[in-house]
Amino acid sequence: MPLYGTLDITANARALPTLANLDTEAWTLPKAEMLQLLIEVPRSTTEGLLPKAMHPALPSYVILAVTRYSESPVGPFNLAVLRLGSRAGAHPRGFLLGAVASTDAAARELKGRWGLPVDAGEVKFLRRHDRVMGTVTKAGRTILDCALIDPQPVAGTDVQYINWVTAANAPLDGQTQPMLIQVDPKYTFYKAERGKPQVSTFDAAAWNAPQVTLADPIVGTCSTVDTDLPRIRFVMDPLKPVFQGTRRIRESRADE
Amino acid sequence: MKFGLFYEISIPRPWTPEKERTVYNNCLEQVKLADELGFDHVWAVEHHFLEEYSHCSAPELFLTACAMVTKNIQVGHGIVVCVPEFNHPIKIAEKTATLDILSGGRLHVGTGRSATWTELGGFRANPDITKKSWDEFVRCLPKMWMQETFSYQGEFWSMPERTILPKPYQKPHPPMWVAVTSPGTEIDAADRGLGSLGLSFAGFDEQEKKIKEYRRRIKSCEPVGAFVNEQVATTNFLFCHEDEKTGVEMGKRLGNTFNYLATQLISTREVFSSPSYQSLGLLPALRRAATGPDASEQQTEGMAYGDPARIIRAVKKWESLGVDCINFILNANEVVPQDQVMASLRLFAKEVMPVFAKGPAAKVAAE
Repeated sequence: MPLYGTLDITANARALPTLANLDTEAWTLPKAEMLQLLIEVPRSTTEGLLPKAMHPALPSYVILAVTRYSESPVGPFNLAVLRLGSRAGAHPRGFLLGAVASTDAAARELKGRWGLPVDAGEVKFLRRHDRVMGTVTKAGRTILDCALIDPQPVAGTDVQYINWVTAANAPLDGQTQPMLIQVDPKYTFYKAERGKPQVSTFDAAAWNAPQVTLADPIVGTCSTVDTDLPRIRFVMDPLKPVFQGTRRIRESRADE
Repeated sequence: MKFGLFYEISIPRPWTPEKERTVYNNCLEQVKLADELGFDHVWAVEHHFLEEYSHCSAPELFLTACAMVTKNIQVGHGIVVCVPEFNHPIKIAEKTATLDILSGGRLHVGTGRSATWTELGGFRANPDITKKSWDEFVRCLPKMWMQETFSYQGEFWSMPERTILPKPYQKPHPPMWVAVTSPGTEIDAADRGLGSLGLSFAGFDEQEKKIKEYRRRIKSCEPVGAFVNEQVATTNFLFCHEDEKTGVEMGKRLGNTFNYLATQLISTREVFSSPSYQSLGLLPALRRAATGPDASEQQTEGMAYGDPARIIRAVKKWESLGVDCINFILNANEVVPQDQVMASLRLFAKEVMPVFAKGPAAKVAAE
């Protein structure tokens, strides 16, 4: 059967974000501009980054995304994330390795509501006609400088965003415990572009992925979308295969 | 109704030289038996880098071995990837002609363009243009086989005038097919007069629609080859057992294993935004089949597992929809022991095949 991850998130549960509950209210995030770069990475450099419950994507790849959220319940903010391509059972997922938000309030809320491993820092999203750029600075050091080169229009239907999985502590069955949480935003496209990914600075350690080296660019996209951060619907036991350890917290988006 | 075998050649970890060899030998043993039992085809895929799911990266070699140990069964390249980074068209024409000669004119040539990023990215192929390059390749192949000399200047490849040798044993050339997974490819097949080599496990309703459209369109086709190959084949799982419950349980295990391995593949659309890969192909159906709440119902609809009576019902349904040939996957990750695969083939040939045979065998079955 397929390979499994090797990370035991319960071994260092104190390092994980902690949610007060699993009843997080949804955020509506209209007209977000989302730069996303997919890049293959050597399989050996992702060793130990993926929870035991999940399967690695083969070949290994990471998703670098820098998003400008112009409206949110905590005001405008930018968010940069690094996710590792993977599978939760049969389903493609991006396991969140690290994130930086441009405001303290956004960082605090994203960590406390959805369990994103997010710090505050400077996150810039810049659009030019020949490129769309994302830069992230943390503690005065640039940890990401990337761009989508020569963006060309594509249809929104050409773009697929996969759902996120994050590791966090949360109360379940009367006990706060480490778990995997599925974050599954929806997207309504206004505009989508595609181009070449380019990364000039990537400080892997700052993204909690110290061994990861970027190898072969796959593709980059930049989209303007209405999106959201929805209520948590699924949590997973971090040590069991997800088809054995998945719990549905609530039925569907209809209850939002 | 014709029956065939369909090989992905799935090999479980840990991989050892002996395990790879054992699985390949198992497959050859199955093909030899299938030939003796009267199966019509053996198909082998071309896949690259698809860990556990398919170790069949040199199907022409496997099919040559099949041809050498059999007498009648037809050998099908299912499919040759018609993307320049994978296969040069001259080499395709040469290798297929050689295989046709060695098999005594038993070759079928399936064509396609690959659906996974794992493969396309591995060869650094551009997903945007695979449909176009496939189209160029399928138009060239018959000419390369039939014309004494051939020259070509196209968008994706070119060559000065040369004599491409050898020529196929079959005249005018082997039957041509196209792999149909994405919606709409059945129309591509029909418009070019190609056989529809269905590789998905869609339910009856969806298949019926596709087949009707294929039959309608092919009537007015402009064939790329010297003749129209109007045939519809589908893929299925086979496990035939005297006891229905045992047959269904093992068949489901086979289907679930195959589907789960397939869902681990990185479809092109998952990572590479391209108008050329708008559909996820067969993966959504496999994901539903592998994990969805209605998994058991989807899994069993039309599947050729269970006892002979149950399988006969399923095959009759496919026949009524207009399917000409069913190709069976016999194993995935070796979850079915080889002796049970062989027993299943024998029982299927004894109890099921005569019901669908034409000529004397059909008469015996009817009696």
